[in-house]
Amino acid sequence: MAIKMKIMNIRNAVLVLFIFSVKPTFLAAQVYFTKNGSVSFFSKTILENITATNNETISVLNIQTGEMQFSLLNNGFHFPKAKMEEDFNEDYMESARFPRSTFKGIISGINKIDFANDGTWPVTVIGDLQVHGITKQISVPGKIVIKNGKINATATFSVLLKDYSIKIPSIVSNKVSEKIDISVNCLYQKK
Amino acid sequence: MTTKKKSFPMQRKSKRKIVLFVALLVLLSAFVGYRMWNKPHRDVKDAIAMKVNAAELYKILSEKNSPDKSAFNNQVLVVSGTVKQVLQNHQKQQVILLKTNIEEGAVNCTMEENFENVKTGDSVSIKGICIGYNAGDFDLPGDVFLIRCYHGD
Repeated sequence: MAIKMKIMNIRNAVLVLFIFSVKPTFLAAQVYFTKNGSVSFFSKTILENITATNNETISVLNIQTGEMQFSLLNNGFHFPKAKMEEDFNEDYMESARFPRSTFKGIISGINKIDFANDGTWPVTVIGDLQVHGITKQISVPGKIVIKNGKINATATFSVLLKDYSIKIPSIVSNKVSEKIDISVNCLYQKK
Repeated sequence: MTTKKKSFPMQRKSKRKIVLFVALLVLLSAFVGYRMWNKPHRDVKDAIAMKVNAAELYKILSEKNSPDKSAFNNQVLVVSGTVKQVLQNHQKQQVILLKTNIEEGAVNCTMEENFENVKTGDSVSIKGICIGYNAGDFDLPGDVFLIRCYHGD
């Protein structure tokens, strides 16, 4: 009887060890990432159109849970004019005080997406966007494209500068739009 | 009578001087404003740069309480290291990852000019603006990012 109990205990221990050794691999297979995603913004006024891009955006996507995260360094935005870049970092975004912008959200209905085959899936991501130290919940329509086993996520949405306490001096207020269009493009690789 | 006749052209003369001065001031301000608005981007290629090893730079910038970060962040650096991977971003720019002592962490260099014939395992020097370390709060080691990069030799 005692021998039987001992065998049972050993068997259970082996089972527990097996589960713990397999679990991280199983989870890791569901996580995709990029460290060179692209986030652009566009401001359109009668006097001037301004566009800037950050190609060093980190993003992680969990295709099992639908969790999606983005983080970028604000001083990585590249503008056509050096003065625009300087004003953006020093006066508007205050990049030394608020170095990062982040987004953490969930893709709704992730389970409906067939990641095993090529296809295009319209999605909605709901989450918290943090810019200039202020966090707001937003809902963003996007698209997930699966091609040759690679996942590409794109989205376009707008934010209001006043929602994130970004003040534009009156002298240039007619050159910078109050509503900023943002576009995101990330090509993921498996973690 | 004589005084009146003399003072009139004097007033006109000084008025003209003021108008000319104001016009010059306006022109000068416009010129300075135009030059400031159109000033060129930082010249990375010809900038004097501090030399640093990729692993060392990564260690300094990824550690939370490292006091030396300001010496590297937003500075033009020449970073030497071994190529871990060569990628291409969404805008078709070449991206070179340099190895560090962290398996999934790299010095991530977005190239302004392509580094010809570069491949994994090569020892290289890359010159660019260091914008800092970013990892967000993911369960994934971050990278140190260099932008507007050129061949560092």
